[in-house]
Amino acid sequence: MADHIEIGRLLRSETTGFVFGCKLDQIDSPSFGALVRVRMDDHYQIFGLIYDIQVQDDGLVRQLITSDTLANEAWLDTRGNRTVPVEIGVLALGYMLDGQVSHLLPPRPPLSLDEIFLCTPAEIAAFTGAGRMGYLRHVLRDQDKPVEELLAAHLKQARDVQSAAGNPAWFEAALEEVIALLKDDYPTLMRVLGAVDELELARDRQSELNGRLG
Amino acid sequence: MTDQQRSNTPKTDQIGIITGGSLKNNLQARLTVPSHEVQEGAFVVAGGEKDRWLFYGLITDLRLEAHDPRYAQEDLGRRLSPRLAGLLRAQTLYTSAEITNTLMMEPGPDPLEDPEGYETWFQSVLTESVPPQPAKTVPLHHAPVRLARAEDIALIFGKEGEKAFFRLGDTLEQGHPVCVNLDRLVQRSAGIFGATGTGKSFLTRVILAGLIQHDKTAVLIFDMHNEYGPDDIASDTGLHVPGLKGKFPTKVRMVGLGRNATIRGARPDYTLEVAEADITPEDVLLLAQELNLRDTTATTLDALRASFHGTWFSEFKKMRTNAFVPGDDGKLEPAPDSVQAWAESVGVHGSAAEALHSKLRRLFNAPYIVEQPAANALQQMIDNLDNGQHVVLSFGDYETDLDYLFVSNLLTRRIREVWEKRTNDFRGGKGAPEPRPLVIAVEEAHKLLNREMASQTSFSTIAREMRKYYVTLLIIDQRPSQIYDEVMSQLGTRITGWLGDSDDIAAVLTGLASRDALRGMLARLQPKEEVLMLGWGVPMPIVIRSRRYDNVFWEELLQPKTSSRKTNTVFDGLDF
Ligand SMILES: Nc1ncnc2c1ncn2[C@@H]1O[C@H](COP(=O)(O)OP(=O)(O)OP(=O)(O)O)[C@@H](O)[C@H]1O
Ligand SMILES: [Mg+2]
Repeated sequence: MADHIEIGRLLRSETTGFVFGCKLDQIDSPSFGALVRVRMDDHYQIFGLIYDIQVQDDGLVRQLITSDTLANEAWLDTRGNRTVPVEIGVLALGYMLDGQVSHLLPPRPPLSLDEIFLCTPAEIAAFTGAGRMGYLRHVLRDQDKPVEELLAAHLKQARDVQSAAGNPAWFEAALEEVIALLKDDYPTLMRVLGAVDELELARDRQSELNGRLG
Repeated sequence: MTDQQRSNTPKTDQIGIITGGSLKNNLQARLTVPSHEVQEGAFVVAGGEKDRWLFYGLITDLRLEAHDPRYAQEDLGRRLSPRLAGLLRAQTLYTSAEITNTLMMEPGPDPLEDPEGYETWFQSVLTESVPPQPAKTVPLHHAPVRLARAEDIALIFGKEGEKAFFRLGDTLEQGHPVCVNLDRLVQRSAGIFGATGTGKSFLTRVILAGLIQHDKTAVLIFDMHNEYGPDDIASDTGLHVPGLKGKFPTKVRMVGLGRNATIRGARPDYTLEVAEADITPEDVLLLAQELNLRDTTATTLDALRASFHGTWFSEFKKMRTNAFVPGDDGKLEPAPDSVQAWAESVGVHGSAAEALHSKLRRLFNAPYIVEQPAANALQQMIDNLDNGQHVVLSFGDYETDLDYLFVSNLLTRRIREVWEKRTNDFRGGKGAPEPRPLVIAVEEAHKLLNREMASQTSFSTIAREMRKYYVTLLIIDQRPSQIYDEVMSQLGTRITGWLGDSDDIAAVLTGLASRDALRGMLARLQPKEEVLMLGWGVPMPIVIRSRRYDNVFWEELLQPKTSSRKTNTVFDGLDF
């Protein structure tokens, strides 16, 4: 199916998250804050959020960068045929077992070389709309990550999907949950809400622009 | 929204949930409605219908609180979009209310599911077979808090039109009727206080009318300013204010002081004169301040009584002062009918006796003090009070403190003696009937019950002995701080309007639990027609808007059957 976009395969994993790799020329599809899933078998898949994209260097890249001329072929070759993959970090958010979404951490992490897919809007709507947004706590847990940016990116994606699916109230409920989870941590909450506000502003500007054009 | 929040959203009249508190102090509740929907003094109920107990109390403080003070300090509206700021405020900023934990009661049957069971239970509460009790425990955490409904108020304060329950006003927020139990009100002395113009006299009219209509108690009113008997004109609105006489023409007897008394131009039912023989030296001593008597007075009075017994006043009055006659030796000596001669004969200081004589001249000259009254008005007053009538003694033109003090104290002393004797006869098992309870209403009570006077007047005796002899006081005063504390602390029911003076506030609250909370409420009452009721006579303190004394009042009082208030107030308050 065309919506089932495979974006890479698993490199390593642990309970709270995993890292998958993809080729440099595949990198157009996964983006920061996007919801992905790993299909383990017909009954079980794991959901996660992309929080980190790393492009590692190697000897060849270093060499090419220091050479005086960078031939076009070499550039293309390096991009397409590199042996070092792009590493993409994913935060585990929950899983789906026999069609039931759970916002608890997956009982088993994914295994090496499992395929990773970008979630379709329907999958996003199903996962984020299930239960009571319990998965947000996983996002907020690890304060080493750029939590506010991550949340803002995720909320934007999910808001658009939920609105399109006829559930515009979702966004406000999600914000209430974020506030409930973070209200003890004033600085983080204010940063998160600041980032969310950026989203709101961007949307307002967009609709204003559309209004002017249309 | 989380589930927790969902369950906290107010159902109908819920205003918050209990978050803390203790028996010794107040309860705290977190409001789930905006702060402005609740006011100090509001009567609230904590606990759910399925809980073991419902708790009744008053809101005494409202505080703005924040989950973290930084949320309150930061101007969220400037930093975030309105929507985000709104969501954030909703979860991090809130109002907490301080609630007194005063009474508790087991919830009765549900009035909707079991109306008959509820009514039976309600009646048993009114008859006090299942009375509300002082709170001995506290509500559960997160017990719902709601504003009291009409039926809650009726449970605690009684239902208008039943038994001795008489509506004295309404709650501030929702205007639910609040009653007093008239039988309980007169069981101990009561006080009505408030600064000038707060509505004391109007509220007293309401209460007196209620007592007269209730017909269980005789009422004697010392009407210093001719306010209660005759019709009057309100000084502020210029409106006609009906007097008790006009509304209860046969039940109320108007008595004027002095043979030719007129009250606002009209003749009273009869007049009162004081017989000289009824005056005791104590009656005079009481006027020490008014007459500027000296310390020697008591000795002189004692000597007078020893010489002349009951007729001392007349005899003393007849004596001449500065009267000398030539003696046998030709020298001037005191005339035999002079004060000086009498003083010498009994060995008291002549000049002291002379001074007393001249100071008593105001009494000697008082037209209402006569040797032989034309009729025994005192007996007539007592007969009236016995026969289910009520007496308003108008001072007419005798408006000085001297007249008021002298006459009201003397009459009260005499009447109390009668009631005391009757009580003793009744209790002595001589088959004598039970005395009819008597309430004596006095304005400007501090003149009779101040610290200097308290040991001497019959009023303070009455206040202190409670209702041992079936006589209690209804005292009306602007300056409760000037009333002797021992008297204040004996007052069963205190009803007070706004008071500005902190001493007065402290005086009204003496001897009450939760004084601090009540003090704030008292200081913030509306300057008119709002009163705080407290004390033994009411189940718990409450702020009410006084019942208006107007035509509607009289219509409701005199024709209760056609009154619109007759409908079932318990069920009126329910949202069906
Ligand atoms: N219950 C009431 N019904 C109608 N009017 C009222 C009531 N209470 C107060 N008022 C209004 O307030 C005015 C003042 O009330 P009132 O004369 O009873 O005050 P007060 O406390 O007796 O004052 P003072 O101490 O000077 O005698 C009245 O003239 C009347 O207009
Ligand atoms: Mg008055």
